[in-house]
Amino acid sequence: MYKRLELHNHTTESDASFNCRELIDFFLADGVDGFALTDHNTISGNPKMRRIIEENHLPIEFIPGMEYTTYYGHILCLNLTEYVPWEDINRHKPELLFRAASAKGALTGIAHPYSFGWPFAKGCRFEMEMTDYSCCDFIEIFNNLEPLHQVNEPALRLWENLVFSGHCLAATCGMDLHGSTPLAGHYGTYIEGEKGGDIARELEHAIKNMRTWVSRGALLLADPEDGAIRFAVQQTGKPGYTPHPEQYRIALRTAAGQGECSPGDVIAVSEFAPGTVLIPELFENDTALENLICVAPPIRLR
Amino acid sequence: MEDMKTIYQVGGTLCRDFTGQISYTVCLDQTYRELDIEFTFGPRHFSPGDVSEALKKELLDYCKKEYGLAPSSPEELEHAIYHEMKTEIHTIATLNGTFIGGIHRQLETRHMYFSPEEATEGCIPQPCIEGVLRVTVLAFSVLLDNTAYTLTVRAR
Repeated sequence: MYKRLELHNHTTESDASFNCRELIDFFLADGVDGFALTDHNTISGNPKMRRIIEENHLPIEFIPGMEYTTYYGHILCLNLTEYVPWEDINRHKPELLFRAASAKGALTGIAHPYSFGWPFAKGCRFEMEMTDYSCCDFIEIFNNLEPLHQVNEPALRLWENLVFSGHCLAATCGMDLHGSTPLAGHYGTYIEGEKGGDIARELEHAIKNMRTWVSRGALLLADPEDGAIRFAVQQTGKPGYTPHPEQYRIALRTAAGQGECSPGDVIAVSEFAPGTVLIPELFENDTALENLICVAPPIRLR
Repeated sequence: MEDMKTIYQVGGTLCRDFTGQISYTVCLDQTYRELDIEFTFGPRHFSPGDVSEALKKELLDYCKKEYGLAPSSPEELEHAIYHEMKTEIHTIATLNGTFIGGIHRQLETRHMYFSPEEATEGCIPQPCIEGVLRVTVLAFSVLLDNTAYTLTVRAR
């Protein structure tokens, strides 16, 4: 099965309006399979979330986390079980903090790298000098409520370019939820998993292997087999998304540019040089960013 | 917080554009059941008297260059300057080197309260309050010179 996750959320433990129970209820009402708590610089809500879910036998999976909210950028930590101090962060060596969190078993990623920072909210823009992306697990390519072209498009392109250049970085998205903003029409993060499976392990496998989908409701499946790439589109039933399969277009993005095809096409692997990294993206109507439905996991051709 | 003993109080001023933290370490003289850390600061926003034409231009130029933002009207600019731009200060506490709470809410007066049973949101209840308390004031953005702050630690 594919699990729909919301990976960037806040509560009254930091600066949001939902308390822990209200956030859980909000996601249950929308059919979310699992969610992360990523309050700013505190882990105080994590045990509360676990307790509420366990005591009430609620059908939703929980990922403990935190959003390291630093002077020079925000770092999402998922599967975080203990606080890792960040205050001595050096903007020239952010890898130290990424590695410190990773050493505790957390998955780390850059949140909204192009958000507006000073003088509105210093630190919201990622201004650290990252020279070694091997310590980073993912990039939040859509922070749903941020401006599409000013903030999210450069984040998407940053991730694409890093993946094209050989980095193993998963794509995620998030609502950066601070209140009861409707989820309909926004992107969610999807991973493969089993019903009743261990969400921490499933998330780790998905992130570490770049097996995440960022989607508004349809998942583009594209796997190379027997020298050809065939496509399929799976609907997830995400509330607010009405599929228009007849309008689907696929963009195959590479470092060299972009090719387009339809879901029914079969693409020969031989059209690409060995080692090429492809990122399949599903659109409706045309490949304008406004029409992007799904960013699928990258494919590295042999 | 009435009837709690003040065991430490300190104040200071921050200069414009300071980024960084100031930590205060308190060696608790005994075991306490309750702890309250109060932090106040101000001003948080610009007042009309703070904003010269030169500063307004500096802010406008920066936002245009960095974010491609250009206010569509003088009212929008005024709103951005007086309501959206802010001094931002966080507080984090550790006890014997272990994180016990952080406050991100931008309250000009905030409390971090701890007891064995409860704690302010953002903080973790503490069964035993003894040893070494460290409170860190984290200045993300300071808009104005002479931004004042006070930190008070109380216990019972």
